[in-house]
Amino acid sequence: MAALVRLMIVGFIVLTVIYVCLSFYSRSVRKGKLREQWHDGPQDQPVEAFLEEGLKDYDKSLRRKLILSVYVIPVILVSVIVYLTNFA
Amino acid sequence: MLSILRWTFWITVWAIIASFFHYTLPQTDIVRVTDTYESRENPTSYTLFWGAPDLAADGTVLPRDVFFIQTRRAKGDVMVYRNEDTGWGWPPYFKFDTANLQAEIGDLVSTAEAPRFVAIKHYGWRNEFFSIYPNAVSVHAVAGPDAPKGIPYLNIFILTLFTALVYGVWTRWRRFRKARIDPRMEAIEDDLADATGAVTGWFRSWRKKP
Repeated sequence: MAALVRLMIVGFIVLTVIYVCLSFYSRSVRKGKLREQWHDGPQDQPVEAFLEEGLKDYDKSLRRKLILSVYVIPVILVSVIVYLTNFA
Repeated sequence: MLSILRWTFWITVWAIIASFFHYTLPQTDIVRVTDTYESRENPTSYTLFWGAPDLAADGTVLPRDVFFIQTRRAKGDVMVYRNEDTGWGWPPYFKFDTANLQAEIGDLVSTAEAPRFVAIKHYGWRNEFFSIYPNAVSVHAVAGPDAPKGIPYLNIFILTLFTALVYGVWTRWRRFRKARIDPRMEAIEDDLADATGAVTGWFRSWRKKP
């Protein structure tokens, strides 16, 4: 039982580091794309407002929520390995 | 001299990585199970090569019973496997069915006169000097001593992933060094050369006064 708790704590820490890094990276990629869009577009609003609006949309988007799969995939993987090792 | 050090360092690093994978990744042996036994073990040294220890309340390692599987491999030599839970620890096989596996193996015991061959999936090393044994993970009956072991898809997948990761990090590091560190080092070397020239010049001026 202690081993399971330890696995969960260590896993949670590692996955959180990955999650945070990936979130920041994905957001910066989106920001770069928005900036590009603004340069190509009609430029009818200042760049800051355009970026803010775009990033607000991004915060609500599915793509951002998909990053949560960083937590989901390892849990599924462990479940599959437990099944294959012990019950298959 | 520096290049010898560098080579030694990298060969050591890669040898450690290779032995890590060789120990941890699963391998399959075609064997004939000759017997099984259970033995009281108290692994206080080389604990790395045994399952998670049973600890007393005060933290001392308790002796525990470990299942063993005695076999003769299809290629002729003998091999002894241990059969232990990995539990939630390392390596991540998440094996909890040790007793079931022992029962399956007990059912597959055969003699040299009427041999039955089985494929044992295991990880780990046998070493007589350290008294360490590979840990059996699963077992199934096969047709004969020449039965195919199957393509190790998992090992191929993991090693490919690892190679891709190393290659990715390596290219990025090389690019970073080319862009940021090399120019800086060259600048420092140039500065140093200038400074040395200046200092020598100053000394010279100081020595032979006009």
